[in-house]
Amino acid sequence: MIDPLLAVSFEAFTQPGFWIGVGVIAGIYTLLALGLQLNVGFTGIVNFGQAAFMAVGAYTMAILVIKAGFSFWLALPASVLITIGFGMIVGLPALRLRADYFAIATIALAEVVRLTAQNARDLTGGNQGLSCSDDDAGLCYFNEWRDVSDSINSFIESTIWSDPEQLFPLLLVTWAVVLIATVGLTYVTNTPWGRVLRAVREDEDAALALGKNALRYKLQSLAISATLGAIGGFFFALNLAAIYPVNFEPQVTFFAFSVLILGGLANYKGVAFGAVLFWFVLEGTRFLDLPDPPFTETRIAALRLAITGMLLILLMAFRPQGLFGKKEEMVLGE
Amino acid sequence: MEAGQLTESAEPALFERVAERFRESPPLAAAAVIFGIFVLLVIFEGIQPVMQTGLNGLSLGAIYALGAVGLTLVYGILKLTNFAHGDFLTFGAYMAYLINVTWGAPLIVGVFWAMLATAILALLLERVMWGPMRRNNAGFLQLILMSIGLAFVLRAVIQWFWGTEVRQLDVDNTSTVEFLGLRIGETELIVVVVGIVVLSVVGVMLRYTLLGKRMRALSDDIDLAETAGIDTRKIIFYTWVFSGALAGLAGVLAGATTNLRPELGFELLLPIFAAVILGGIGDAFGALAAGLVLGVVTEWSTLVIDARWKVAVGFAVLVIVLIIRPQGIFGKAKTI
Amino acid sequence: MNDGLLRVDGVYQRFGGIRAVNGATFDVAPQSITALIGPNGAGKTTLFNVVTGFYKGDSGVVRFDGDNVFRKSPNAIANRGMVRTFQITKALAAMPVIDNMMLAAPDQPGERFVNLFIRPAAVRSREKEVREEAMEMLEVFNLTKLSDSYAGTLSGGQRKLLELARALMAKPKLLLLDEPMAGINPTLGKRLLDHMQRLRKEEGVTFLFIEHDMEVVMNHADKVVVMAEGKVIASGDPENVRNDKKVIDAYLGGEAHETKAKT
Repeated sequence: MIDPLLAVSFEAFTQPGFWIGVGVIAGIYTLLALGLQLNVGFTGIVNFGQAAFMAVGAYTMAILVIKAGFSFWLALPASVLITIGFGMIVGLPALRLRADYFAIATIALAEVVRLTAQNARDLTGGNQGLSCSDDDAGLCYFNEWRDVSDSINSFIESTIWSDPEQLFPLLLVTWAVVLIATVGLTYVTNTPWGRVLRAVREDEDAALALGKNALRYKLQSLAISATLGAIGGFFFALNLAAIYPVNFEPQVTFFAFSVLILGGLANYKGVAFGAVLFWFVLEGTRFLDLPDPPFTETRIAALRLAITGMLLILLMAFRPQGLFGKKEEMVLGE
Repeated sequence: MEAGQLTESAEPALFERVAERFRESPPLAAAAVIFGIFVLLVIFEGIQPVMQTGLNGLSLGAIYALGAVGLTLVYGILKLTNFAHGDFLTFGAYMAYLINVTWGAPLIVGVFWAMLATAILALLLERVMWGPMRRNNAGFLQLILMSIGLAFVLRAVIQWFWGTEVRQLDVDNTSTVEFLGLRIGETELIVVVVGIVVLSVVGVMLRYTLLGKRMRALSDDIDLAETAGIDTRKIIFYTWVFSGALAGLAGVLAGATTNLRPELGFELLLPIFAAVILGGIGDAFGALAAGLVLGVVTEWSTLVIDARWKVAVGFAVLVIVLIIRPQGIFGKAKTI
Repeated sequence: MNDGLLRVDGVYQRFGGIRAVNGATFDVAPQSITALIGPNGAGKTTLFNVVTGFYKGDSGVVRFDGDNVFRKSPNAIANRGMVRTFQITKALAAMPVIDNMMLAAPDQPGERFVNLFIRPAAVRSREKEVREEAMEMLEVFNLTKLSDSYAGTLSGGQRKLLELARALMAKPKLLLLDEPMAGINPTLGKRLLDHMQRLRKEEGVTFLFIEHDMEVVMNHADKVVVMAEGKVIASGDPENVRNDKKVIDAYLGGEAHETKAKT
């Protein structure tokens, strides 16, 4: 398993299909990073557990559909609520910690979630993945989505594009949600509520001294981020045919951070740009005709990891505000 | 009568006296908890399994302790939450592989080379990355994200040269040693011995040498130490040397008792963080003790829960410590 | 007898092995200007922290406006009308001055997330009100032209004024100022003191401030409370306190002697 993050089957290497797949991934990461932007860029909480919210959202949705007989459309909001609840249970004790402890606690949490997914095989299917019911192989979590997706594609077939790719509807829906989320977050940041958030980000004691319940705002920020994480998890689950624990490794969260930093802290529009740039460059390397010795598959994967790592290092060293961040709003220092 | 004077009861109950003693001395409370767990396990599982898993736990604990001491020094003295520390372990393991397997030299040479190479790597990074960032007053978020980027790069380099397949060091993983009715793998025993010896040396160095005392002073308060005229550059040098060398050693030991793969170090990173926090950030002795305890408790857990959840024990401890007492067992209460 | 707006009774706060506050008792009358003085390390700021909820005291009573607020959360205490400033100013540097000001206003429906979606009109109208109030307050403190600048670009003295102005936006009954004169030039200091007197007279705000400058204390405080080694060793009229032997001993040849020499 070279790159479990990208769910494009290799036979679909034809240009549109491949790039649509990348577009979906970029959209998912935009959602994740939008949540992180709210957390890190606007509330000052370093949430290293975004993958946990993805996992809880995706697994809960699948389990509700496959094992509890929920309809897909009901499972979605139910999973979001459960993920938010999970976030609150975690956040209540964890948000009292100082920033670095909170970061460590959230990574630990994400790993606990992943380990649970790996080991609670009866519930989650373990490393074999979760897609369809053991009793009824036809009952899969993505059934109802596939129906909708096919209808959308039939519509498109008769209007704009005669041979639409299978993933195209997912691309549309993902980016529609991205648009709504970006607009919503931008609006909410420029309100009195957003103002308190920014005060908490910069100096929690000052906010407390002015009567603001900092913990409540941090919890709300985490709840919104959990929602976006869960939705990202849904789209991720729909992109693949099954959900695997390995899809929710810390690497996912850190890639989301790379996207965040690239686009720039403290602004939402840059996030989408960062995600698209990041993933299109990263995936574009697949098309470089690199000679096999020395460029084996493993090595190309290593190269991608190295590029991401260097990106983080160089950005943080030389341009911490990223592409579109505002230097004045940088509260990265102590 | 003065308003608000604390009333004192004539004979505080025994329980209250004991509780007060525990509140004043968290290490005592922690020791009591561990002893309590030990007793419970012995009652329910028998002395032999407890001692056996405890012995295995020392092997794991030695690795944790070696990793934790290096990490806590960097955390305390340089205020750096180094998420790349795990990859120092991995790096050390693969350096040993180079000497031991690729060249065929005895493992002991590999160990020395691993410690040296990792120390050099650490110093190089200080020169190129951490030093300049500190001088530019880099903030906490910048540093932590840089350390994550560094972790990626290190792992990528290792993956480039050695791929993702699982490798083994040239060690005898089958022969065992028996004593006192307990059995331990020969390799594990060596890990325990080497680990304890090295940790003791480091402990003595920190406690009794001038360098050690200065390092501990710096760990407490780097600004204070600077005004006291201590040469911080030399201390920083030795901090990275220790951090790197101990991490490299821990990596080799981990590789020897399990196997080599690029994720080796990162998998150990979170339990190592747990040990660092449990022992109190910046407290090398605390990290040492906490690492050993964590290893033992992790192995003990296999007596009560399924072995595949063993890894979660470290995380559970971390979470519990962060909720109850973030400053760790040995840390001081936070002042504003 | 609960005369005081603020009554501190037998407060203890321990750090590690040290009792930073070792049984402090005093009260603050409404609409008074009270100074809290004492040598370094007497526990003044620690006491402030306990009174305003930033530290959880070990034991004691803190009565504000009739209610016991001991160990309540700092934001709950601030919402009851006890607002504090900090020794090192906490002007929120990455936010514009006007945002700093508007942040402090009480009763903003827009600060509740749900209201953003179910009561947008109420949010908008209060926001407009708050902005007007903030601009008026900035006018009083002569900071109007800086309203859109990021607070981080202000000078030290301007930040002190901003912090005071911002604290006033919260409509406090009692304002606790931690060394308001520290690090600002005398002219600005005089302006601050004039503001305090005016606010006390016109708005009925009560002040409790920590101060080291004896002249300021003598000339502007109605009452002086002296702390040393965590305890209150004297309180009352500035003149009486100044001549109190215990106070002079506590300072041991420090400012107390200087002030004596000046007169």
